[in-house]
Amino acid sequence: MADRYSFSLTTFSPSGKLKQIEHALAAVKQGVTSLGIKATNGIVLATEKKSSSVLVNSEFIEKTVKITPDIGMTYAGMGPDFRVLTDKSRKVAHTRYKRIYNEDPPTKILVTDIARIMQEATQSAGVRPYGVSLLIGGHDDNNGFMLYQVDPSGSYFPWKATAIGKGSNAAKTFLEKRWNEELELEDAIHIALLTLKESIEGEMNGDTVEICIIGSQNDNLLGFEGAEGVSGPRFKKLSPQEINDRLDAL
Amino acid sequence: MPGLSFDNYQRNQFLTNSAGYNAPKATSTGTTIVGCKFKNGVVIAADTRATAGPIVADKNCEKLHRLAPKIWCAGAGTAADTEMVTQLISSNLELHSLSLNREPRVITSLQMLKQHLFKYQGHIGAYLIVAGVDPTGAHLFSIHAHGSTDVGYYLSLGSGSLAAMAVLERDWEPDMTKEQAMNLCAEAIQAGIWNDLGSGSNVDLCVMEVGKNAHLYRNHLTPNVREQKQRSYKFERGTTAILKQSIYNLVDVVEEPIATTGPDAMEVDS
Repeated sequence: MADRYSFSLTTFSPSGKLKQIEHALAAVKQGVTSLGIKATNGIVLATEKKSSSVLVNSEFIEKTVKITPDIGMTYAGMGPDFRVLTDKSRKVAHTRYKRIYNEDPPTKILVTDIARIMQEATQSAGVRPYGVSLLIGGHDDNNGFMLYQVDPSGSYFPWKATAIGKGSNAAKTFLEKRWNEELELEDAIHIALLTLKESIEGEMNGDTVEICIIGSQNDNLLGFEGAEGVSGPRFKKLSPQEINDRLDAL
Repeated sequence: MPGLSFDNYQRNQFLTNSAGYNAPKATSTGTTIVGCKFKNGVVIAADTRATAGPIVADKNCEKLHRLAPKIWCAGAGTAADTEMVTQLISSNLELHSLSLNREPRVITSLQMLKQHLFKYQGHIGAYLIVAGVDPTGAHLFSIHAHGSTDVGYYLSLGSGSLAAMAVLERDWEPDMTKEQAMNLCAEAIQAGIWNDLGSGSNVDLCVMEVGKNAHLYRNHLTPNVREQKQRSYKFERGTTAILKQSIYNLVDVVEEPIATTGPDAMEVDS
């Protein structure tokens, strides 16, 4: 096994491209649209819960996940690769930061750790690149709210607002018109829903879209009180009811 | 490479047994810690004295550690060991909880702790009382450094455990209220504070009730506040007489404002 594939499957073409990464990006482009918007007081990540059949129990599909109490993540592309990256991201947040510095990693540090994992899959023996682009939104004391996109190549970009996946081009044009510096979290959620509405094909309600926010500290979600210097998580998933309420207000 | 290194084991044995040297004393938490179940939950408490031999190293240290939002653990033994083992299992418990998308369970933390401590054959000197609430209910356990665990309605560990247990044995009864349990634990810790030299200072408490958030009461009781000093030890101005004063002009001070903007500004990374 080691003999047969002791070389990387991702190699340069004469034109200087890495075909495998191009193909991975194509896989992402085929994926269901996801978007992220940064506001003054928070970040919203939104995605469509597209299922191949009405019989799929979509209640238990998780496309937006918590990595640390203040950082959330979503994707476009291959679901299984996202699942694996979620597990690795959560672990790396502890092993390469929290266990060393005794605090949760700032967003950009976690992003570089995840990007490193994805890059390693483009330069290691016998593996293929991850077929997902990730949208990572988080808050830390030094940089405030930050939204990042990480690609299969391992390159990452900070965004004010962006979309990835099938309808990403149309969505980005839509966002370009509507984004401004003074947006608040509720406005951003509103815009996110409007943007998703453009690219969604079937019905749009609390059960077919998934939205998570990184907002103000939810001390009531901490689970304990009385400890000094500990604040509640900023990551929160909107319940189907909360999404429906906002859709009604559209 | 993780884990303990036993490279010096043979040398240390020789030094302590045949060469008359004493092993260095690790900071112990001395300690009185207790845990006690009540009608709808469990409460744990600890004193706040940390000792290094006969010296009080910390008069107000925190012996109540958080393994998960609603699972807390009191630690006796080697201070560094209780802190590090608690943090490691807390980290793994958080990852486990995220992975399963479930609230962490006390028995899970118990299993992880005991398997870790057993692996190190008692060399990690952590003696813990682990308690908490989870979807299965309220739980109270204790773990010893070699990896053995006990279950109980009331438990005590540390050098002050006998003083505390005397109080617990006398006053514990089943189905107490939260307030009764808090008072019982506070009294038990106080027995250790007053009667055990390895324990002292304040009482920390943590209440974990089913269906509610856990509540940490840091310095719930402070019966050992240092009294106001009898006099001020500040020296008056003029206490040291000035015999001679000479002033030498060593440099000429010129004030030159540094431009931060404009054509003459120095280059900095913005």
